Amino acid sequence: MGASSDPTQDGSDEQQKRSEIYTYEAPWHIYAMNWSVRRDKKYRLAIASLLEQYPNRVEIVQLDDSNGEIRSDPSLSFEHPYPPTKAIFIPDKDCHRPDLLATSSDFLRVWHISESAVELKSLLNGNKNSEYCGPLTSFDWNEAEPRRIGTSSIDTTCTIWDIEKETVDTQLIAHDKEVYDIAWGGVGVFASVSADGSVRVFDLRDKEHSTIIYESSEPDTPLVRLGWNKQDPRYMATIIMDSAKVVVLDIRFPTLPVVELQRHQASVNAIAWAPHSSCHICTAGDDSQALIWDLSSMGQPVEGGLDPILAYTAGAEIEQLQWSSSQPDWVAIAFSTKLQILRV
Amino acid sequence: MATPPNSRLHTMLRASVQSVQWTYSLFWQLCPQQGILTWGDGYYNGAIKTRKTVQAMEVSTEEASLQRSEQLRELYESLSAEETINTQTRRPCAALSPEDLTESEWFYLLCVSFSFHLGIGLPGTAYARRQHLWLSGANEVDSKTFSRAILAKSAHIQTVVCIPVLEGVVELGTTDKIEEDLNFIQHIKSFFIDQQPPPPTAKPALSEHSTSNLTSSYPLVIVPVTAAATANNVLIQNDMNIVDKGEAIILNNNNNNTEAELLADPNSNSFIPSELMELDHQLEEFGVGSPGDGSNHLDSFPKEESMALCAAGLELLQLQRPPAPAHPPTENLAQGDTDTHYSQTVSSILKKNSSRWWPDSPSVNHPTDSFQSAFNKWKSDTDNHHHYFHETVADGTSQGLLKYILFNVPYLHANRLKGTGASSYETNHVMAERRRREKLNERFLILRSMVPFMMRMDKESILEDTIHYIKQLREKIESLEARERLRGKRRVREVEVSIIESEALLEVECVHRERLLLDVMTMLRELGVEVMMVQSWVKDDGVFVAEMRAKVKENGNGKKASVVEVKNALNQIIPHHEPYTLCSNDHF
Repeated sequence: MGASSDPTQDGSDEQQKRSEIYTYEAPWHIYAMNWSVRRDKKYRLAIASLLEQYPNRVEIVQLDDSNGEIRSDPSLSFEHPYPPTKAIFIPDKDCHRPDLLATSSDFLRVWHISESAVELKSLLNGNKNSEYCGPLTSFDWNEAEPRRIGTSSIDTTCTIWDIEKETVDTQLIAHDKEVYDIAWGGVGVFASVSADGSVRVFDLRDKEHSTIIYESSEPDTPLVRLGWNKQDPRYMATIIMDSAKVVVLDIRFPTLPVVELQRHQASVNAIAWAPHSSCHICTAGDDSQALIWDLSSMGQPVEGGLDPILAYTAGAEIEQLQWSSSQPDWVAIAFSTKLQILRV
Repeated sequence: MATPPNSRLHTMLRASVQSVQWTYSLFWQLCPQQGILTWGDGYYNGAIKTRKTVQAMEVSTEEASLQRSEQLRELYESLSAEETINTQTRRPCAALSPEDLTESEWFYLLCVSFSFHLGIGLPGTAYARRQHLWLSGANEVDSKTFSRAILAKSAHIQTVVCIPVLEGVVELGTTDKIEEDLNFIQHIKSFFIDQQPPPPTAKPALSEHSTSNLTSSYPLVIVPVTAAATANNVLIQNDMNIVDKGEAIILNNNNNNTEAELLADPNSNSFIPSELMELDHQLEEFGVGSPGDGSNHLDSFPKEESMALCAAGLELLQLQRPPAPAHPPTENLAQGDTDTHYSQTVSSILKKNSSRWWPDSPSVNHPTDSFQSAFNKWKSDTDNHHHYFHETVADGTSQGLLKYILFNVPYLHANRLKGTGASSYETNHVMAERRRREKLNERFLILRSMVPFMMRMDKESILEDTIHYIKQLREKIESLEARERLRGKRRVREVEVSIIESEALLEVECVHRERLLLDVMTMLRELGVEVMMVQSWVKDDGVFVAEMRAKVKENGNGKKASVVEVKNALNQIIPHHEPYTLCSNDHF
C-alpha cells in the first residue's frame, strides 16, 4: 500500500493565488485523469498511475477551497491492475445514480465510490458471453444514455456495453487496424480513430454501415486521439501520430478538414472541447503548452492560419488534458508526476 | 534707327542703366539646383577706348554701346576657350582684343567669370537678405567686404549697387562716388517690377547663359597671361590712336546731356523721342572738341594702366580661392539635413512603436474575466512561436506517454495472459480474427488485379469497379445471345426478275456467303444478261441484298433469256438455308 504524499505547490504562493493555479504532486507518473461530474463533488478528480507493472494505483483527490491545497484521501485510493488507459466519472450532474468511476485497461472496470471506500462494482468481461475482450485503448461514457459505455480495443473492434446489465450490447469490427480512441456524438452515434489513419462514424441503428469522414493524407498514418464537440456535434477534432497539428472536422463534409490548428511547437498529446461553448477547444502537447483556441470563425479561412487566444506553459510535456463539464471555468492537465488545475 | 533688343532682360538692363547714366548693369541669375548666382546678362554703358567696326559711317551712341556689350561678351568667351589661338584666328576682323579695352571694360568683362553662393559676396548677400546693398567707395574697401575691390580700384569703379529681384540680383556700377539713395533704388526696381509678366520668355536664354558660365569659370588661369600681353600692347596703341581718345571724350559729354534730358521730362518712357533728341545733341556737340585735353590725358594714362593690369592679375589669382570655402558650408548643410532626416525617421519609428503598443494596453489593464486566468494571451508569443513552428515531429520522445499507453500497455496483458496460460479459445479468437482480416485483404488485392482499368485502391472503389465490370460483362453476354437468336430466326431467300423487251430488273435477297455477288454476275453474263448497274449490301444479321439493272442480249443460241430461265439460274446459285454451304461449286 502506497502512502499518500503531502501536496506541494509549484511556484510562489502569491503567484498561485493570483493566477488561480493549483498543483498536486503524485508519487508516480500520471496518465489517466479526469474531473468528477456530480454537483455535490466539486473540484474532485481521479488520477491514475503509469507504472510498467501489474499493480498500479488510482487516487481520488480533492481541492480544499479554504486553503488552496489538493489533498488525497487515503480511503479513496485503491490498487488497479495494469496502468489505466482512461478514467471517467459517471456523467450524472444531478446525482440520480450511484457515484461511479470507470477505468479501462485489460478490461473495463466500474468502481463504486462511497464516503470512505472504493469498491469494484463490475468487471466487464466478455468471457461471460463466451466472447473475448481485447485490451482496451480508451473508452467513452454516453452522457445522454449513462447505461452505455463504448470501448475501443487493439483487436480492431469497438464494443458497446450495458453497464447495468453488465453485458455486451454490440460489438463492431470498426477498423482494419487497432482502434485507439472512441467518442460519443449522441444517444446512438459514436466515432472512432485507428492506426489505419481513418475517422469513422457509426450509428447503432445501422450497425452494418459506417462512414469514413477523414483519412490521413499519408496512408496508414495512425490517428491517436479523438474529441467530439458535445455542444455542436457537427464538429470533431483528432490528433495525428507524431504531429504538431490538430485536425478539426465537419461531419457534413467528409475528408475535408475545417481547419488545422498548427501553433504547437511539438507533438500534440491531448485535446478537449469546451463543455459550455460550441466554438472553443483546448490542446496540449510535448511543447509543455496548453493552448485555447476560438473556432467561431471556422467558416472563413484565416490568413496565415488560426492563432490560439490563450496559452499556458507547464514545467514539462503535458500528457493529459480534461475540461471540467460541471465547472467549465477550469481545465486540468497532467505532466510528469504533477496534476494542475487551471482557471481559464 | 535703334537696334531691336535681343531679349527683354537685356532691354531692362539697358533702359535702367541709361536712365541713371551709370557705367554698367548686370543681372546675376539664380541657379536653383546649385543655389548660386551666375552671370545672366549685362549692358556696358561706360567709356570705350578703341572702336572697331566694318562700317564707314558713324553709328548712334546706343548702337555703339549695344555692340560694345556684345563684343565684350565675345572677347570673354574667346579668352575662355581652351584653344585660344585657333579661336582667335577665326574671329571676325571687327572682334575686340584685350588691348582694345579700358579699365572699366576690363572690370565688366571679368565680372562674367564670377559666381556667388547665396549669402556670399555682394550679390549673394543681397539675395539672401532680400534687400538692396549700396556700396559707396567700392574701390577703397577691403576685399573681404567686396571681393572685386581690387578690380574696382583699377577700373575706378567707386559705387556698386545690388538690388534683389524675383529670380536674381540686378547690379549697377559707376565710376562716380554716389551716396546711398532710396529713390534711386525704387527707380531701378520699377524697370524690373513692371517687366515681370514677360519673364517666361526670357527664361530659356537665362538658363543657357547659366550653363555657359559654369563651364567658363574653369579657365581663369589663362587670363593673367593675356593680361600681361595686353600691358605691352597698350603702350603701342596709345601712340597710334590719339584721335580715338578725342572721340571718347565727346561720347562722355553726350551721355551727360542725355541724363539731363530724362530728368527734364520724367513722364516720358518712350525710347524713340529720347533717341531723336540724342541725335540732335550729337550734331550740336560734334563741332565742340578740345584736342589739348586729350593730349593731357594721354600723358598720365600709361602708368595707371600698367599698375591696374598688375593688380588685375593678382585679383585673378585670388579668384581661385573663393571656390574652396564654398565647400565646407555645403557639407555642413548636408550634414544638418542628414541629422534632421534621421531624427524624423526615429520619430516616425517611435510613433509607430507607440501606436503599436497602445491598443494592447487597454486589454491588459481590463481583463474580461473578473478572476485572474491561469492562461496568458497568446499574442505576446506569436513571433517566437512562428519561428519554431513545425508540423511533424518524428523524434523518439514525441508523444512518448501517449504512444506507450496505446502501443505498449495493451500488450502487457498479452504477456500476462500467456504467462498464466490463458484460455486457448481467447487466443485463437484473436488469431482467427486476424487471419480473417488478412484473407479479406488478400482477396481484395486479387479482385483489384482481375478488374481492368482499376484506378483507386480503397476497398469501396474496388467493390464499385468490380460491380461495374460485372455489369458490363453481363450486358455483353446478353448482346451476344440476342444476336445468336436473331441469326437463327431469319432464313430469308427471295429472287425477283422482270424483263421488258431488252431491259431487265433483278432483285436478290439471301444469306450471304463469300464471292456471292461475283458468281451471280458471272452466271448472268453466260445467259446473255449484261449487268449495267448494281447496288448491294449485307445487313447486320448476315442477309445479302442486291438490286441490278441489265440489258438482255442474244446468247450463243441466238435467243434471249426468259424470266423463268434467269430466275431458275439465280435460285440455283444463291445459297439455301445454310450460310456456309459449298453449293456454288456444284453449279460451276
